[in-house]
Amino acid sequence: MITIRRSQERGHADHGWLNTYHTFSFASYYDPAHMGFRALRVLNDDRVAAGRGFGAHAHRDMEILTYVLEGSLVHKDSMGEKRTFGPNTVQAMSAGTGVVHSEFNASETEPVHFLQIWIEPAVQETEPSYQQIPFDPGEKLGRLRLLAAPKAAANGQAAAIHQDAYVYAGVLGPGEILKQTLNAGRHAWVQVARGDLSVNGQALAEGDGAAISAESEVSLAGAGPQGSEFLLFDLT
Amino acid sequence: MQDVNVLVVFCSRTGTTEKLALAAAVGAVQARANIRLRWLPEAADDGTMEGVPGWKENRERMEKEYIAPRAVDAEWAHAIIIGAHGAPPELKAYLGWLDALRSEGKLDSKVGTAFIAVPSGDEPGAVENARLEGRRVAEAARTHNAAGAEV
Repeated sequence: MITIRRSQERGHADHGWLNTYHTFSFASYYDPAHMGFRALRVLNDDRVAAGRGFGAHAHRDMEILTYVLEGSLVHKDSMGEKRTFGPNTVQAMSAGTGVVHSEFNASETEPVHFLQIWIEPAVQETEPSYQQIPFDPGEKLGRLRLLAAPKAAANGQAAAIHQDAYVYAGVLGPGEILKQTLNAGRHAWVQVARGDLSVNGQALAEGDGAAISAESEVSLAGAGPQGSEFLLFDLT
Repeated sequence: MQDVNVLVVFCSRTGTTEKLALAAAVGAVQARANIRLRWLPEAADDGTMEGVPGWKENRERMEKEYIAPRAVDAEWAHAIIIGAHGAPPELKAYLGWLDALRSEGKLDSKVGTAFIAVPSGDEPGAVENARLEGRRVAEAARTHNAAGAEV
């Protein structure tokens, strides 16, 4: 079963400095029919103007992943981290017992475009942590690059999160096909970051998402003139 | 569990008090409070701020990263934590402003304010003490709210 969440059906807020689309309920966008999918609670598609950002605010008991598509972000938190990162990097903050952080566009001239993902942890009150893992962009071309997973599977190459969830990034050229097994009882979410993608035969465009349950495989194919960059979530 | 809101207001020129304010906020979050962090804009003139390397840059950064405390923040809060080193004019102005809000009855039923006495440098334990203070204040606010709710 595949259920499509179209880009234009998402929650949307344009604050001038921030243009944001919410796949699931977030901030002032609230729709009880779209509160998340499995442990995936938030999927925001954000564009932040040059020099602007989110001032200091708090999180607790949430695994927060940020994946920059264009531009760069500077992150600062109460753990003493101050880090800048751009595309081809997974940034993960495990809020646990509580963190206060800020996130700003690192550029004074260019906007930044990124996806922010919240995954509910399986355990609460863990020690807060910060991870930032860059990778070679070639690792996501025509295949899946693991961004986040439980610690044993992350193995230092991906962000370790406190949930039985696997998050991948992939880039497929037009007509390029990739098949990923979905084990019994597992669910998948596919989010198109850019371009056009066919998911189990369904056409998805930029900003679209697809919830996949009770299927044995996720079949992905780059479509359109450019193909696609996407995120794949494998969830319990 | 009942929501508890903690407002952390701080003055910081070098970033030292900012660190303690962040720690206090973390402590409040650990006690499951909602938090707002607000910075009191520098009252000092440009000449003063340019006199010491780093001050002006810190001010520019904090102007970007924080907003100044508003009346709605004080009204939203069940408890207010104020962090400062000494008593700079912006702090005195803020306390006067809070006093005016109080005289209008807008601070009724608040837990009251805690004050972080900040050492001149990064004194060992200061960050940890600020965190514990944030936690203690949030817990006190929760107890106070619960007591109020029973009346």
